Amino acid sequence: MISASSFGGLEFLVAGPAVGAALLPLLRDSRRVTQAAIGLASAVLAVSIWMWVDVVSADGAYVWQSNASWIAALDVHWRLGVDDLSAPLVVLTALLTWCCLVALLKRAPDCGGTSALVGLILVIEAGSIGTFVALDLVLFFVLFEVVLIPMWFVIAAWGDPHDEPGRRRAASRFLVVTVTGSALMLVAFLLLRSELGTFDLAALTERARVIESDRQILIAVLLMVGFGAKIPMWPLHFWLPDAHSKAPTVGSVLLAGVLLKLGTYGLLRFWYDVVPVGALEVAPYLGALGVVGIVYGALACLAQPDLKRLIAYSSVGHMGFVALAISTMTPQGLAAANFANVAHGVITALLFFVVGAVKDRVGDSGFGVIGRGLYARSPHLAAVLAVAAVASLGLPGLAGFWGEMLTMLAAYSPHPDLPQTTYLVFMVLAGLGVVLTTVYFVVAVRKVCQGVPASDAVTDVEADEWVAWLPLVALTVLLGLAPMVMLWSADVVAALPVTP
Amino acid sequence: MTLGIVLLPVIGAVVAMLAGHRRERIAPLAGVVTTAASLGAALVIGFGHWGDAAASALGPYEISTGGTPILVGLRVDQLSASMLVLATAVALLVQVYSVSYLRGDPRYPTYTALVCLFTAAMSLVVVSDDLFVLLVGWEVMGVCSYFLISHHWELEPAREGAVKAFVMTRLGDIGFLFGIFVIGEAAGTYQISGVITAAEAGSITSGEATISTLLLLCGVVGKSAQFPLHSWLPDAMPGPTPISALIHAATMVAAGVYLVARLLPVYVLSDVAMAVLSGIAVITMLGSALMALAADDLKRVLAWSTVSQLAYMFAALSLAGYGAAILHLLSHGAFKALLFLAAGSVIHAVGTQRLGQMGGLRAALPITFTTMTIGFAALAGVPPLVGFFSKDAVLGVAYEQAMHGEYAVRGWLVLVAGLLGAALTAAYSTRAWLLVFLGPRRGSTAEPSDGADNGRIVAAEPHESPWLMLGPLVLLAIPCLVGSWAVLRPGFLGIEADPLHLPVALISLGLALGAIAATVFAWWQLGAADPAVRLGKFRQVLAGEFHYDALVERVILRPSRFSALAVAANESSIVEPYVQGADTATQWSARLLRWLHDGNLQRYVTTVVLGAVALAVVIGLAQ
Repeated sequence: MISASSFGGLEFLVAGPAVGAALLPLLRDSRRVTQAAIGLASAVLAVSIWMWVDVVSADGAYVWQSNASWIAALDVHWRLGVDDLSAPLVVLTALLTWCCLVALLKRAPDCGGTSALVGLILVIEAGSIGTFVALDLVLFFVLFEVVLIPMWFVIAAWGDPHDEPGRRRAASRFLVVTVTGSALMLVAFLLLRSELGTFDLAALTERARVIESDRQILIAVLLMVGFGAKIPMWPLHFWLPDAHSKAPTVGSVLLAGVLLKLGTYGLLRFWYDVVPVGALEVAPYLGALGVVGIVYGALACLAQPDLKRLIAYSSVGHMGFVALAISTMTPQGLAAANFANVAHGVITALLFFVVGAVKDRVGDSGFGVIGRGLYARSPHLAAVLAVAAVASLGLPGLAGFWGEMLTMLAAYSPHPDLPQTTYLVFMVLAGLGVVLTTVYFVVAVRKVCQGVPASDAVTDVEADEWVAWLPLVALTVLLGLAPMVMLWSADVVAALPVTP
Repeated sequence: MTLGIVLLPVIGAVVAMLAGHRRERIAPLAGVVTTAASLGAALVIGFGHWGDAAASALGPYEISTGGTPILVGLRVDQLSASMLVLATAVALLVQVYSVSYLRGDPRYPTYTALVCLFTAAMSLVVVSDDLFVLLVGWEVMGVCSYFLISHHWELEPAREGAVKAFVMTRLGDIGFLFGIFVIGEAAGTYQISGVITAAEAGSITSGEATISTLLLLCGVVGKSAQFPLHSWLPDAMPGPTPISALIHAATMVAAGVYLVARLLPVYVLSDVAMAVLSGIAVITMLGSALMALAADDLKRVLAWSTVSQLAYMFAALSLAGYGAAILHLLSHGAFKALLFLAAGSVIHAVGTQRLGQMGGLRAALPITFTTMTIGFAALAGVPPLVGFFSKDAVLGVAYEQAMHGEYAVRGWLVLVAGLLGAALTAAYSTRAWLLVFLGPRRGSTAEPSDGADNGRIVAAEPHESPWLMLGPLVLLAIPCLVGSWAVLRPGFLGIEADPLHLPVALISLGLALGAIAATVFAWWQLGAADPAVRLGKFRQVLAGEFHYDALVERVILRPSRFSALAVAANESSIVEPYVQGADTATQWSARLLRWLHDGNLQRYVTTVVLGAVALAVVIGLAQ
């Protein structure tokens, strides 16, 4: 196969959107800007899929590696590479960005500034893909932070038009919590550097065994809290419902579909590859917090009077599953976390698109304002909502199932050094969470879709919305019926040692 | 061919969904044609596998999971072939019947598509050789039934029933999933044939078998509506009547019986699980038969009767009576489908489901009357109809165990309960039959339906249904009449014929005839009024269904709602002020951080580096 790294495939994935963000807003017409951005995003998506194909044939090693010196004095490099853990997330990011841009084409925000919004979305794409493919800790940190600022602007400037102080507060909260998390993460990175003398992820992975166990535990804790703020892990989740309910639709989609994944990806990457010994000690705590998140998020959803907030809280539960999967410290847990990450990204993005469409049409996302009988008032919209809800509650045969099933299976047989009984309890509680998730989604569908229809009609799904949503619907079904698309590497990972 | 049975209805569903709303004819056509093709394929497979033929398999295809892999594969033997024929045949009749029953319903395309998916999911359950793939079919069936029960989603009972059905079955399914984990890890494979081989080879310990089978039983109890997860099935009755026929006769509730029968080699390893199964079966058998005796809704009577009849199958399985359970499953599939479709015809004619408003319909609905009488007689166990022989097979298993088997105690328990149940079944069947067809006509027709599923106002005079609806009734009456022949010669299932157990047969026949006579006598004595009056105060308890829903409300639902409100309160009044209070402080740091993060890469990197140096110094000093 032709090597795409020879012409800088990964550099294009990161730099393409970044350059686009800088140059495209120069075009005067905002519609033109969006069109050009869609073209660019399509190219990025195509290259990312090509990259994934290459990763699949590479059996678990980093592919498309590239390396250029950046700050020579500190031995900081532009080191990029992608493997089976990061590749699906890169494709997910590219896809969701594409969907968001398509959604903006005909539905520019009322407050204007579409060109700037498109630019910010491209910056988010560049930063997120960059974080997923960075193999240098400093580069990882910088790109991780690069994502935050544009998201702050997206929420604060294009958020809920009826509540300006609210959206600013939500944006700031998001920023403060995640930046605090990043600070802890940075401390962990510096500790690693001081122990091993390098920022190179691959080198760290090889040398990690020499770090003594106490230091590993400290680093693992710092990473857990640091990334936990982003995931968000209970009890650091409090910024999420506000951020989601105030963010514009594209903001919510990227926040849930991409930004939360930065946290789980980071935790997965560093815990498994760099400090496995320390992580084993801390893992039960992460598992416990994950399980609390699952049940707490589900209970919060049950009493939720607002559809958009409900989906935000459902994310707390779903990401709790990912946290639990990571905490099992097994190849199966890794496969589960990776699958659940992508499945949540696809399904929740779809849910936010649909709820955003409902909110745009009726003005608010409270159950009382939406009114009943959406099945009659806009059948297609209601049907997509019902399908996405069913997928989100983990119905076997749709994408949501496999990640959560594998998570519980991994909790049934976690790493032999972990307390088995504790994990058995985690598994049962996670199962309880699945039942509660079913309850709140069917109750929500009952409140919104069913019932005697309210009198006002609601515009049904329009062509441009279908274009943006159908890839997500198709992926939801595809991942559900053909989980091997994502699980092909589970055994490749199994070959990698988790314990030193 | 096997894959075709599963895929054909899916194609039908897709066509109906995509094109059904444009042209009125497409949806019914897509549903009927693909299901018919599926039935054809099932028959071909059936004739290829019935008798002594070996099982055939497709696959397996391996999916890695980082642990024990999932082996996706299909496998067909006598049992799955018979289930396929039953499921697709009933599905086809339901599709044909629905063309007329739901004529002009704007939701028809969605309805057909869901019925098609339902059929495909059931087929997947019976042909899958992997527990996880089986679970996919198992739960897709659950969600299809959720959507179908809420077909009339503007009606409160339909919404309520759908939510209840879905949540209760899913609650059981979580146990089922954990059961798969335990059994799969114990056997080292999730492949069903592999699990059975492991069980027969003795590599599953009895402890593992107990835990896994009990967990699997949670899902089975949920799906097959057995105690304590029984209460969703009667509440699922606001769904269109053909759906009830499909759910009750050949698909969803039968899936539970199928699963236990399939995994019987694992169940027999655990005395505890078998004893629990016996207990559940006996409680459910009698409890639901009693409730059927007092229910005032024709479909509810039939629903409780389904629950009770399924308990007979589980009772047989709990005594390792594989053949008897499957024969009763097949025979029940025929007569229950007939009863529900006939009930649909009655409801179609009078526009109500309440027995109290029916009566005297014999003359107006001659064909419905004849066929439904056959159905009721089969249910009541009147020879020579199929129900008599299949029920006798179940009671015969209990009799054999009670007399000289290893499960003597439980054999007696099931035998006594089964005989009592036979009397109760005959009584409630007779009562429903009398109240629908004989006596004077009660209640007016033109009244809008009180929760009746079709929600249409019908003509003032009851009238016989069109032939598209009567045809399936007549076709289903045939196996009820001549199916006894197959029940007595079960060689097609690969099992040995079991001669009639004369003492049991005579006692059960005597009890059934006695119950019929007593019911008719009470009815006649009361001047054609409801014989349930004779139950006295007990009638209220039965009609209230032992206040089980109130108990669930108090013990499970109220605490859950309370926790949800507590969490919501915690979010808004504890977390919120704490975050608010921290806001003032964070505003300042936010300003600082915003300055740091203004996108100036130079300054940014400088800060990072400065921080790194500072920390390196601190750490260096610390060491």
